[in-house]
Amino acid sequence: MTDRIRIQEQDFDLAEEYQLLRQTDSAVGAVVTFSGLVRDFEVSAEGAGSVMNSIDSLSLQHYPGMTESLLEKIVEQANQRWNLIATTVIHRVGDLAPKDQIVLVGVASQHRADAFEAAQFLMDYLKTQATFWKSVKRNGEQQWIESKASDQQAAARWDGSDDK
Amino acid sequence: MANLETGLAMINVLFFGRLGDFAKQVPSTIEASTPAEIRDLLAADFPELVRELNQPQVLVSVNKMIVGWDQPLFDGCEVAFLPPVTGG
Repeated sequence: MTDRIRIQEQDFDLAEEYQLLRQTDSAVGAVVTFSGLVRDFEVSAEGAGSVMNSIDSLSLQHYPGMTESLLEKIVEQANQRWNLIATTVIHRVGDLAPKDQIVLVGVASQHRADAFEAAQFLMDYLKTQATFWKSVKRNGEQQWIESKASDQQAAARWDGSDDK
Repeated sequence: MANLETGLAMINVLFFGRLGDFAKQVPSTIEASTPAEIRDLLAADFPELVRELNQPQVLVSVNKMIVGWDQPLFDGCEVAFLPPVTGG
């Protein structure tokens, strides 16, 4: 298994990462990549409903050292659950603007089901377990993003079911 | 250095995410024997921070491993207070 985990300020090249996954091994029959981007709005809970606020920029903080080891554990779990040939996780930190790439998850496997499911699992766990914190700037004011119950629910669907 | 009289250890403390906003004046090292004690020591001077620390979703780590609030601490430990994560 070839695992690449990177936390970096600089942007990444999706095509380049895809080629690396593709070229890992001639047994690769499927590559799934997911890239997460900075939206120009953030939905926040307010009372019983929710409001959509536009944002100027986004900033990502993380806990150096801990984040890397948590991501390694998440990738290790994916390798245990699915038959994977190569995995790439790249997460950017620092200041980002709308349309910027934030995160890349790429999975190469022999068959597509493993790659599809593992990519979703990696994103769900990354969002709920890795030590990253987002804040946004709106009209010059910084505001921390609240964690979302829907992300917790998405991660919980992988609990206890070894559905292989 | 540990305080030989009290047996307490000098702990490096870190606050992430929104907790950092309330912890700007907190010293970077605190003498304490558990994470819970660090929280209790901050109560008088930083009531807003401690209110945030008392949120049930806040986790604590020692040397980058998630632990309980009563984890014994040793000299030079790094204790971090972690609000719910929001990456991805």
